[in-house]
Amino acid sequence: MSGPMALGAVDPQVVPTPGAPVLEARDVAVGYGGVRAVDGVSLAVYPGEVVGIIGPNGAGKSSFLGALGGQVKRSRGHILLGSRDISQLPPHERARLGLVRTFQTTSEFARMTVFENLVTAAEGDSGASLKAVILHPRRTHLREQELSERAFGIMERFEMTHTADLYGRELSGGQRRLVEIMRCLVRHPQVLLLDEPMVGVAPHLTGKLIDDLRGIAADGLGILVVEHALEVVRRLCDRVVVMAFGKVIAAGEFEEVVADPQVQAAYLS
Amino acid sequence: MLAQLLGSAADGIVVAAILAVAAMGFTLQFSLTNVLNLSFGSVMTIGAFTAYLVNVAGLSPWLGLALGTVAGALATVLLGRGVLRLYARRRTQLFEMMMVTLGMSLVIDYGIQAISQNAIYGYTVLQGSPIRMGPIAVTPIQVGIIGIALVLLVAVEAALHLTKLGKALRATAVEPSLARSCGIKTSRVVLVTWLVSGGLCGLAGVVYIISTQSVDYTTGELFLPLIIAAAILGGVGSLRGAVVASLVMGLVTEIVAGFGGAAYSTVAGFAILVVVLLLHPGAVFGGAEDRQLVL
Amino acid sequence: MEGGSDVGAWSFYITTLLVYFVVDALSAFSLNLQFGYAGVVNFGFIVFQAAGAYVAAVVTLGPSGGQASFQQYILGSHLPFPLELLAATLAGAVLSLVVGLFALRRMRRDYQAAVLLIVSLIALQVVSADVPLFNGSNGLTGVTWPFGQLFGATATGSPFLYLGYAAIIGLLVCLGVIWLSRSPWGRSLRAMRDHEDAASAMGLNITSLRLQVFVLGGAIAGLSGGLLVEYIGAWSPGAWGYAETFVIFTAIFVGGVGNYRGVLVGTLLVPIIFLEIPRFLPAVGYPGLTDSLEWVVVGLAWMLCLLFRPRGIIPERRLKASLHGSPREPAPAEGSA
Repeated sequence: MSGPMALGAVDPQVVPTPGAPVLEARDVAVGYGGVRAVDGVSLAVYPGEVVGIIGPNGAGKSSFLGALGGQVKRSRGHILLGSRDISQLPPHERARLGLVRTFQTTSEFARMTVFENLVTAAEGDSGASLKAVILHPRRTHLREQELSERAFGIMERFEMTHTADLYGRELSGGQRRLVEIMRCLVRHPQVLLLDEPMVGVAPHLTGKLIDDLRGIAADGLGILVVEHALEVVRRLCDRVVVMAFGKVIAAGEFEEVVADPQVQAAYLS
Repeated sequence: MLAQLLGSAADGIVVAAILAVAAMGFTLQFSLTNVLNLSFGSVMTIGAFTAYLVNVAGLSPWLGLALGTVAGALATVLLGRGVLRLYARRRTQLFEMMMVTLGMSLVIDYGIQAISQNAIYGYTVLQGSPIRMGPIAVTPIQVGIIGIALVLLVAVEAALHLTKLGKALRATAVEPSLARSCGIKTSRVVLVTWLVSGGLCGLAGVVYIISTQSVDYTTGELFLPLIIAAAILGGVGSLRGAVVASLVMGLVTEIVAGFGGAAYSTVAGFAILVVVLLLHPGAVFGGAEDRQLVL
Repeated sequence: MEGGSDVGAWSFYITTLLVYFVVDALSAFSLNLQFGYAGVVNFGFIVFQAAGAYVAAVVTLGPSGGQASFQQYILGSHLPFPLELLAATLAGAVLSLVVGLFALRRMRRDYQAAVLLIVSLIALQVVSADVPLFNGSNGLTGVTWPFGQLFGATATGSPFLYLGYAAIIGLLVCLGVIWLSRSPWGRSLRAMRDHEDAASAMGLNITSLRLQVFVLGGAIAGLSGGLLVEYIGAWSPGAWGYAETFVIFTAIFVGGVGNYRGVLVGTLLVPIIFLEIPRFLPAVGYPGLTDSLEWVVVGLAWMLCLLFRPRGIIPERRLKASLHGSPREPAPAEGSA
């Protein structure tokens, strides 16, 4: 029987060398028609830290996240996961290498139970392929049990075990966010991209979600989060990057960044 | 060889003219409502049978042309306003809307099959003796059809750009919510679009059977692939694009048919769309992901 | 239909309906895998069944007599059982691979469905007009049953035997489809159906999954076509108009999208009880009127299903975590309100 490590096996190139960033964007640009949504953004995320991207509407934050995840076509620049250049890879291959994301509008699988939402996330691995399912039924069965253990482990951590058999569409907004995040964790990712994870979460639960995310980062993950609510950013993020008109206009600790007159001007304009 | 080519090309231009009338109608309603209307071919058949009935009644074929156009317009308004609105009120999504139009197509096609007793009817009107110019032979009515297509292109383009309603239509097609907040009565715009595009559709049905000289319940359905292909290839919403694409489709299908591949002529037309799709998927389908229903 | 001399007319009629039921159930299972599970809207489904039927016909009819004979076709040969059914299955699979490679590209879903409908319309035109291919609009007749010939039986001469044969093949394939649907692979399909972007962001290869389910469905369609043609003995463009696909869709809608028991019920109700039985009743009006009216009703049923969006008679079944062989029983849902 294969150990748990075999499931989350990671390309050795992707494992970051100590002190090196786990995710790096170099001069990434995205263009729609004649419009430059993202215009040469560079940043790095280190293991164990939470980096926030803030900026006014239309700054290109979501497009940038899409370029990192592979959902949006990038017109220039490079994206590195560990030391590996993943710029040319399709989204599912980036995910298999350890870069996973959530979406601005929640993306739970609506007609699947929470449990299924979680185990499905692990199926980008070859274990769920048609070939494996037909040729190795026994291996598939063992894998299912292992996945089930892992899924319940994660649900327990987020106190969501009671929702295991509920359909995605039967959940509250906050629970949907949690399902998205739990689903990402099933994959043992290196990097987590979160697109406005607090939207739809009841105010009294944001504190818990922030603690949860800090806990996940403490396990050694790099987290890049796009967020509107500055209060959340202040409590959640180690570092903040400010984008406006597709460019990075400031970066650093939250307090110093929001004091930056350029940033204040961008928000007011 | 060259003579054959020229002869086929002339036929191709006639087919292109018929196709252009239909494709203009299709692209007009598709760009505005965003509903991929699969019952378009069936409405064409309605127009064609109307003209046939007028002919049976012994009336002028020109009256048939006019009434076929009216029948297409009325049928389209009935479907768009009556049926599709009903679904829109129940929050049917765009994709399901397309499935609804398919159901309408089944009902119309087989309703006509039932009424027409599943027979093929001859429709030989306005034929006249062909005018010969070397290898090219065209009948006066074929020249007439080409003329009708050109006049319609100019007329609809002019209406879109010069009249207030035309401008409102273009604005609504680009950004419906913005148009609405600017005080445009989108509901009225949609009604006019159903009327005009339905009229074009019915008219296309009549000129199609003038050209093929027969009509049965599959008449429009068999033409539908070329219409959709031409509308998509021409860039949805562009009348001139639809006409150019129709010209390409018409020439290719007739040249393939002229050189012995009659069975494969429609395939050849469709193949152009597939090739364009494979080479430039973005060029044809780009940016249309989050369109919304306008009814 | 010929033969059946030593079998009572009624039992022959019932047996024929049951053979159709097996064939339609195979189609409905295959389409439900594509539509109900994977969200792939195959509006050209019937083409793949037709491909299987034609290929099963020509590989058992023997070499074509060419233009001189009463029917001409390509690929004429005498393949023994089970090669002719394999050939039919393969034909469905290969054709769906070719079609899938361009029709399943990433594009708006309504375009995708329209492209598949167009494929269905055009294929019919081509096969009707290109006589050397499969004898044009007259179609092929005189198709035999290679398995029965092994011991001197024919499909229509021994309808019970054929029913048993078809039922065993159908049952095995349908069970296979159910098993695959419940497997991790089937779960990936549902994830793709529910949210394509999220599924690919979780590492699922959408392009490949969609092509897999399309080709697998096409293979089953081809097999069902082979089984059908060996029983009825003839196949022509009249048997696979574009509307045939929507009978199967309507059956799925009526029975319950995503639930195979519902799909079976729907198959019994729509293509069998509703469409086949009137064909054996006295005709109303001119010949063919009943057929036309039936199609009108199918179209209306289709539209009503979309209007009221019922979950079908039996809705999709919730697969609880404990059914996945989970080692732990989840705590009962604590009032999610």
